[in-house]
Amino acid sequence: MKIGIPRALYFYVYYPMWYGFFSSLGHDIKLSIPTNKEIINLGVSHSVDDICISVKVFHGHVKYLLDKKDVDLVFVPRIASEEKYKYTCPKLAALPDLMKSAFVSDAKRILTATFYTRQGEKPIFEAFEEIGRQLGDSDERIRAAVKTGIRYQKLAVKSLRSGHTFLDVVKNIRDLEALIKKPVQKQRYTVALAGFPYDVYDTYTNGDVISKLEDAGVGIVTTDMLDPKVYKHYSKYMIKDLFWYQANAAAKGGMYYIDSPDVDGVISISSFNCGISSIYQKLLDLYSKEVGKPVMHIIVDEQTGDAGLVTRIEAFIDLIRVKRGDGLVAQADNLHGTENGVHVRGI
Amino acid sequence: MSRKRITYTVPRMGYTYAAFESFFQILGYDVIIPEPTNNETIKEGVSNSPEYMCFPFKILLGQFERVLAKNPDRYFKMVSLESYGPCRFGYYSPLYYKILRDKGFTNFEVVNVEGIYPPLYKGIPRFFKKLIKLTGWHAPWTVVKAFVIAGWKVYALEQLEKKLYHLIPREKVSGSTEKIFNGAVERIRHAPNKVKAIKKILNEELEKMEKNPHVERDDLPKIGLVGEAYILMDYSNNLEIEKKLAYMGVDVDRSLRVTNWTLDRLIKAKSHKAHMLEVNKGYLDFFIGGDGQESIMNTILYKKAGYDGVIQAQPFGCLPETAAKEILTKVSEDYDIPVLSLAFDEQTGEAGFVTRLEAFVDMIKSRKQIKTDEAKIKAESVTVKD
Ligand code: SF4
Ligand code: SF4
Repeated sequence: MKIGIPRALYFYVYYPMWYGFFSSLGHDIKLSIPTNKEIINLGVSHSVDDICISVKVFHGHVKYLLDKKDVDLVFVPRIASEEKYKYTCPKLAALPDLMKSAFVSDAKRILTATFYTRQGEKPIFEAFEEIGRQLGDSDERIRAAVKTGIRYQKLAVKSLRSGHTFLDVVKNIRDLEALIKKPVQKQRYTVALAGFPYDVYDTYTNGDVISKLEDAGVGIVTTDMLDPKVYKHYSKYMIKDLFWYQANAAAKGGMYYIDSPDVDGVISISSFNCGISSIYQKLLDLYSKEVGKPVMHIIVDEQTGDAGLVTRIEAFIDLIRVKRGDGLVAQADNLHGTENGVHVRGI
Repeated sequence: MSRKRITYTVPRMGYTYAAFESFFQILGYDVIIPEPTNNETIKEGVSNSPEYMCFPFKILLGQFERVLAKNPDRYFKMVSLESYGPCRFGYYSPLYYKILRDKGFTNFEVVNVEGIYPPLYKGIPRFFKKLIKLTGWHAPWTVVKAFVIAGWKVYALEQLEKKLYHLIPREKVSGSTEKIFNGAVERIRHAPNKVKAIKKILNEELEKMEKNPHVERDDLPKIGLVGEAYILMDYSNNLEIEKKLAYMGVDVDRSLRVTNWTLDRLIKAKSHKAHMLEVNKGYLDFFIGGDGQESIMNTILYKKAGYDGVIQAQPFGCLPETAAKEILTKVSEDYDIPVLSLAFDEQTGEAGFVTRLEAFVDMIKSRKQIKTDEAKIKAESVTVKD
């Protein structure tokens, strides 16, 4: 069967697991194309107007796949919880229900099950068993497929921990072991991106911050590269843990990077109209005020990728350079200057 | 801690603030209730909150901030009622604390009251610790008494409110019931702390309202209100939507009240959840926190109870309510009941708001008219045949 996977939301966290599972069962996977204008327009016209941009974009990807005649089912998992006693945002918990309401006539083509990830392997098995049965696979094969899925996910986590971005993981999904061995080149400056993986990695909606920074010769690290153990102690500063795993990761990971001597600045990324990310933004603001490291906020919306963003990123890089005592980029550099062989302002 | 006088301040929840006030007075503390939501509180709150934070948070922050600023000579315990749920609600108090500290206020602490959440071996002791932090050390019977009296006052105020909205569209002299009602609220507020006394006042006042000249009728259009609790339960947050509808000649009912909300959340939580899942089957099959599931369930229940329309009142960008809103469009179609979603934020203006309400009420009235006409025609054609 041909399974469509929307390239949005939890795709940026669990794609390796899904890839491992479906492909080892012998199903074809059809990914939706990376977000573009068309996808956004599809999403905007099929969702209610005050919902966050990330979920709107998700609508677009689902619609894109539903419109493909050769895609049999579209996979919309309900990621209910990623940690014990922590749940996901209400919109994510209601995601399959939202899709069924938005695309009533195609409701039957939505493949779903409820996942409790990171709570041991048993719940993952249960969820996949439900899916496998809907696809008509035998229990034995399902079990083997889940194991493959989990192995892929573990490899992906390892790649992240060794400093590769999730985009690299997606690109190298067939050979993650090689990716893990590949060293990440250290740059003179490092900027940390804090935010939900789907905001950090959706290059169209966030105006492609990652390449903009890389083009400027800045290395990046992201909050999903961190092992949650390293930032556990920030609970104290936060008084009370947030209720969502990803928000905790963004908040605490962001604080960890604010404190980290290897990181020159932190950029927090969040969705327009997402109240959850406004909480960690505020926390990072207050914290950076205490520590004195630059923090910049990017709020992703339907038209982030405008000239204003470029200017803001340039200003942010200048700020970092000044902090390191390197001074501003000279005008001459701007035209043909290079640093580490990369165009400094080639944005 | 300073020697300033300890004073409590609590969120205002419609008219029931009078009950919370008594609660702390019985325990022997000073209480200052924030003023009703107005442009100034909203402005304060909005300018100091994260941009996309919940509107209720912004309102509450603004209210608390004004209380602190106006009484620098007191030391406040700010009571924040919250839950540890998938909603942002659970993180209000740390943010109040951080933001107000950042603004330079030191004369306060935040006491958050939350339900018991798992793991139970940690949750139950934590709950009691919080309770003691809330009330201080008192003889148990004083605390019990405070709860009982506050509970009765909440009940009495809600009964009066119900009566008021029932009578407004039926009264002979427009505005006359409201006058009696306002007097009644004051009487309950200052009632002696005895159950008997509260009951007596309640009965007297209900009778007084009942005697106010009016015409009983049951052909008014009926509208049910669903949505987010704080917007729904505090009249100053929802621009008095209930009163406005009542004056437009509508029989209005609000699905969430302090009494049923507390009962459903704390005491009957399990059966309440099961009931919701059953009613919402096929529309929303999962627990999403906030009041989103309730909004969907109550819309369906209102339809089944013969209501003509439903209004969903929500703070702009509220997580569970926007999810509910998308699902409600389907419910509305399947069940053939008009649903109007109103999002409240700092830009909600009185004028535009009234226009939308009026348009909706007109639509409901004409739908009702068409239906009765159809029924009449049917009945007539039946008689002709005979
Ligand atoms: S967490 Fe924020 S961005 Fe993600 S789905 Fe919820 S509201 Fe949208
Ligand atoms: S229910 Fe809505 S307003 Fe209330 S805390 Fe949740 S998101 Fe905020």
